[in-house]
Amino acid sequence: MLEIKNLHAEVKNKPILKGIDLNIQKGEIHAIMGKNGSGKSTLSNIITGKDGYNVTKGDIKFKNESIVEWTPEKRSLHGIFMSFQYPVVMPGVNNTYFLKAALNAKRKYNGQKEMDAAGFLKKIKEKLQELEMDSSYLQRAVNDGFSGGEKKRNEILQMLTLKPSLSILDETDSGLDIDALKIISDGVNRYKSPKRSFLIITHYQRLLEYIEPDIVHVLIDGKIVKSGTKELALQLEEKGYGWLEK
Amino acid sequence: MNTSNYESEFEKLLRRDYFSPKINPQRKNAFEEFLKKNLSKKVWDNLRFTNLSALKKNVFRISENFDAPHKNFKYPESVTEDNYKIVFNNGHYQKQLTNLPEGIKVLTNLEYYDDHKNKVGQPSSSPFDLLNTAFMDSGMSLVVKKNINIKSPILLVFINAGKDQLMISPRIHIDIGKSSSISLIEHHIGFGTGNFSNSTTIFSLKENSYCKHIRLQKDSDQAINAGNIHIEQEKYSKYYLSHFGFGSNLGSIGLNSDLNGQGAECHLSGLGLANSHQHLDTHILINHKSSNCISSQNFKTVLKDYSSGVFNGKVVVSKDAQKTDSSQSNKNILLSKNARMNSNPQLVINADDVKCSHGSSTGEIDQDALFYLRSRGINDKTAKSILIHGFISEIFESVNSPEIINFIKSDFDRWIES
Repeated sequence: MLEIKNLHAEVKNKPILKGIDLNIQKGEIHAIMGKNGSGKSTLSNIITGKDGYNVTKGDIKFKNESIVEWTPEKRSLHGIFMSFQYPVVMPGVNNTYFLKAALNAKRKYNGQKEMDAAGFLKKIKEKLQELEMDSSYLQRAVNDGFSGGEKKRNEILQMLTLKPSLSILDETDSGLDIDALKIISDGVNRYKSPKRSFLIITHYQRLLEYIEPDIVHVLIDGKIVKSGTKELALQLEEKGYGWLEK
Repeated sequence: MNTSNYESEFEKLLRRDYFSPKINPQRKNAFEEFLKKNLSKKVWDNLRFTNLSALKKNVFRISENFDAPHKNFKYPESVTEDNYKIVFNNGHYQKQLTNLPEGIKVLTNLEYYDDHKNKVGQPSSSPFDLLNTAFMDSGMSLVVKKNINIKSPILLVFINAGKDQLMISPRIHIDIGKSSSISLIEHHIGFGTGNFSNSTTIFSLKENSYCKHIRLQKDSDQAINAGNIHIEQEKYSKYYLSHFGFGSNLGSIGLNSDLNGQGAECHLSGLGLANSHQHLDTHILINHKSSNCISSQNFKTVLKDYSSGVFNGKVVVSKDAQKTDSSQSNKNILLSKNARMNSNPQLVINADDVKCSHGSSTGEIDQDALFYLRSRGINDKTAKSILIHGFISEIFESVNSPEIINFIKSDFDRWIES
């Protein structure tokens, strides 16, 4: 699904990623853990194609195609999705309008007929229920005045709507109370399938209690220094990152 | 500045006979003041970022009664279907096209001046005001009796057409009686080549009256279009303006409100869209002269290409205007590195128990928001359009009529696509 080879990248001429190798197969859930400044968010931004990040060496392949030169929209249309750590507030942009535009962009790309308003509403209302979101949400502006939990649920709602094959969850647990965390993880767990892969980026082991990873990687100073099973996450929780640093 | 063209046109105007010679002294005073101050940016500080060269160089001819559109002129699509209508052709009121409800009296300005024994205040807050007084056309006055509630909007259409560079100077008085309410849509459409349309509208809102005013400025892209709006408000009166400046090469709107009676409210919002070398100005002065009045300003501009804009918003709270509630916001998006915006919100407060806020921001489109949309598969162009729609939606909402919003939005969509 996702194959990253010897990836080096810099931001404003400052090297951040210093040789990342990562291979996520179909149906796998990988977690990347690391402290602030280790390069976690840079990695997710580079996979999704944000401006200002410069790949200096190595390659990223998604479904066997190099995506480094692709626009963010092309990556999305091919099936990459990121749940943002800080979802952007867009006053005046209506949620329904936004979601429908995104869904129809994808349908058009896949050669499907665009969905009309009625069909879309029916579809979206089912997903709202699943995430225990009030339907008044549809009339609101994107993330405007949303609580931390509402913003993260909105991210997962978009994931469920767009049906990506690779979902990157960037610090999805930050700022969530236990109830919200549970609703979100249940949503993700129901969405799991042998055809879909996940990359979970997190500080803490907490989220991994709810969404169980196949492989856990530790990122320190732009490199993956250790990979292991979910027990590695527990070890990190207990011992911190110090023992892995040189 | 060479004023000889203005002077010769002024002489010509004084010989014209379709407005009362009784107001010639007022015309002369205004014209003298204009000649003295001309378009000096030292005198008119608000205009220091405005390119006035077209006003200085162009050779204008005053619009005459015969300057009506061609016989076969097709009136453009109307904003709304079910409404009352008043039409001006090149500044001249077209009585035969008027359709108004009961309770509203239409007067010629001659009649209006007679009714007021020629004691009608002449605004002088800009060179546009002075030129309007000096050159005002016969114009029109609307007088709404008291306790009249008119639900359907009254459409005021200003059609500017013709080959010459016409100077068009409509003067309109709108008096709204005690506890009456009206809604106006002022629609400026231009097909001319470089006309100078300079309208002055003077509102008088009596106690507890209500006026909703929408102004759509879609003059031709070579025109100069100045709208000078003066509002005198008695107690508990409410005035709402939603302004949409899309057209003209130089578009300027001057809004002056005097909140004279307690509890009066003045709410102004506006949207400017500029491209090419277009320039759009907004000048506002709100005088809080009495207690418990509320005023708000919410203006937004989106600028493309080499266009530019100015926002000067000023609120003056006099010492007796306690419990004033005033807010002021100006936000602008620059879609090109060559676009410019000058924003200058000001507050002068002489009372101690007031609530006043002001803010201004100008910048590019939010890059994080753009990336967010693109990361959901929405292409760059559509994403930008969604964000600009979001940015301006607040101003559309101030219109509060789906029919009119759709009409304006279709223009906006075309603008964004171009």
